[in-house]
Amino acid sequence: MSTSVWVLPAEAVSPQARIAAEDFLIAEAALLDDRRFDEWLELFTDDVEYVAPVRSIRRRGYGDDVDWESRHFDDDKTSLSLRVRRLTETDVAWAEDPPSFTRRIVSNFRFRAGPADDELTVTTNLLLFRSRGTRGDSDVIAGERTDVLRLVDGQLKIAKRHVVLDQATLGTKNLGVFL
Amino acid sequence: MTYATHVDDLTERLRATVRPEEGTIPLFVYSDPDVYRLEQERIFGRVWQFVAHESELREEGAFVVRQMGEQSVIVARGDDGEIRVFLNACRHRGMKLTCEDRGVTSMWRCPYHGFTFANYGNFMGTPFERAAYPPDGLDRERLRLIEARCDSYAGLVFATWDEEGPSLAEYLGDMRWYLDIFAGRAEMELVGEAQRWIIPSSWKLPSENFASDAYHTATAHAFLARLGLVRSVDFGRDGYHVDAGGGHGLGMGVHDDRPGSWFPAELEDEYRARLDPDQLALLHRIRNFHGNVFPNLSFLIPNFIPVEGRLVTGMMLRLWQPAGPNRLQAWSWHLVERDAPEWWKRLGRKMYTQTFSSSGMFDQDDTEQWEAQTEVSHAALSRHDEVMLDYTMGLEARPLTDFPGPGTVYGGKFNEAAARSFYRTWLNLILEERA
Repeated sequence: MSTSVWVLPAEAVSPQARIAAEDFLIAEAALLDDRRFDEWLELFTDDVEYVAPVRSIRRRGYGDDVDWESRHFDDDKTSLSLRVRRLTETDVAWAEDPPSFTRRIVSNFRFRAGPADDELTVTTNLLLFRSRGTRGDSDVIAGERTDVLRLVDGQLKIAKRHVVLDQATLGTKNLGVFL
Repeated sequence: MTYATHVDDLTERLRATVRPEEGTIPLFVYSDPDVYRLEQERIFGRVWQFVAHESELREEGAFVVRQMGEQSVIVARGDDGEIRVFLNACRHRGMKLTCEDRGVTSMWRCPYHGFTFANYGNFMGTPFERAAYPPDGLDRERLRLIEARCDSYAGLVFATWDEEGPSLAEYLGDMRWYLDIFAGRAEMELVGEAQRWIIPSSWKLPSENFASDAYHTATAHAFLARLGLVRSVDFGRDGYHVDAGGGHGLGMGVHDDRPGSWFPAELEDEYRARLDPDQLALLHRIRNFHGNVFPNLSFLIPNFIPVEGRLVTGMMLRLWQPAGPNRLQAWSWHLVERDAPEWWKRLGRKMYTQTFSSSGMFDQDDTEQWEAQTEVSHAALSRHDEVMLDYTMGLEARPLTDFPGPGTVYGGKFNEAAARSFYRTWLNLILEERA
């Protein structure tokens, strides 16, 4: 039996869904780079889980280097709202005022149906360039994101975001920027 | 000019300009490279430093790799059950014996030539040893790992390279009473791996901040009041300021607007069994609790804020590891009562992570100040006059006489006595020449 590469296996995510998800995540990154935080917050479901575990240096075969017990972010919609309100409603969020210049590169999209019927899991690579201050300093924050996107009233929303960062010691002085 | 003459000139300058009792500290000490070099020798080479928490080393053979100043050390529970601290350096060529963060092992085998050391420090052998070192191989005792003095208090493991100095109990002194409340009130555990990140700051700035500086919260952390999470700036004012001696300091926020304990009732029996009545009464009054064990171990019970509708706090342990005159590596852990109810653990971790961590809404803002202060302090290298900074807050304040805890305790948190004490201890150590 021959299988053409042009015939999608049954479990594959449809091209339409892939394009919609990719457009959605690229637009989401643009909202953050443009600091349109209120609009960005609208992209999350009310039950969102936003988590970035801590990495450590381990010998191969001697334990996982991703520790989900310890987290750089351990957030939900309420705390994300608080972080956004801090940035948008106060003039004392010193870590981001004056703001960093950021540029998010979201790439290497991998799609998986589910876990729920109305959900799609998208794994991407994130490269976040961040520059602060007048001295030409910049940080690069790299990581792998796994997002669960859910269709809510015809709109895609982020129901879960896990970000595994690629440093055991972060080279940026704080995570005052969203991943 | 010889190095010795140079150090003499530097110590003379320090003696003349670092005047904590008058409330003045010169700008240059924050990041001067020569000062930094002396600190490595005379502070991080000598005093007790936090290296681990006992909960990380429950198993025999468990080890973690940490820093004492710029030196990499292995903190290990040996097969005999004892916790020891070794310089992470092979006795053959000084290669690191282990390059991972933690593990469980009975021995370390150097990845360079294979020299092997037991987890209690003994030299065990090396490949083809009798052929390489005929006829009998190497002297076992001479090649034992270099070991630091090690002791623990309230679950916190400390080490020092000083064989002759004070015991840990003497070193911590009056701070022990407060560490009991923070870390000794229950059996505690560190939650997971340390968060680590690099801050372009002198290690002294955050250390001094946690020891002494409640005043900055009204400005640097004003968002908390702006967003209605605390009643007003009084979260940084009402309470006590403690110069615990030995350069150790802390502040305790106490406001009695909502009486009663905010800690989980399930833990009350354990608290009562481990604290004296004065400590227990204070625990139930505090709304925040921050301090620094000299030189660079900070701790915090942050302000209680609601998470999922419940008021919780999320305890933090923080090491400000020097990594150069202008650079530090922050190590941050969440500490929690081992037998706490599940909701307290789950929400406490969230609270910790959201407020005081790499992404913490408080921490973020502090890193801006410390970086900029460090940068500004470089100006001292090219100035002929001495830029003196003001450390006078509370200089005339009279300590309380009826506070139940030890140390020099002031009513109200707006004071810089603990910062003055930090620099007095710092200066005494840095001027101490040894043969």
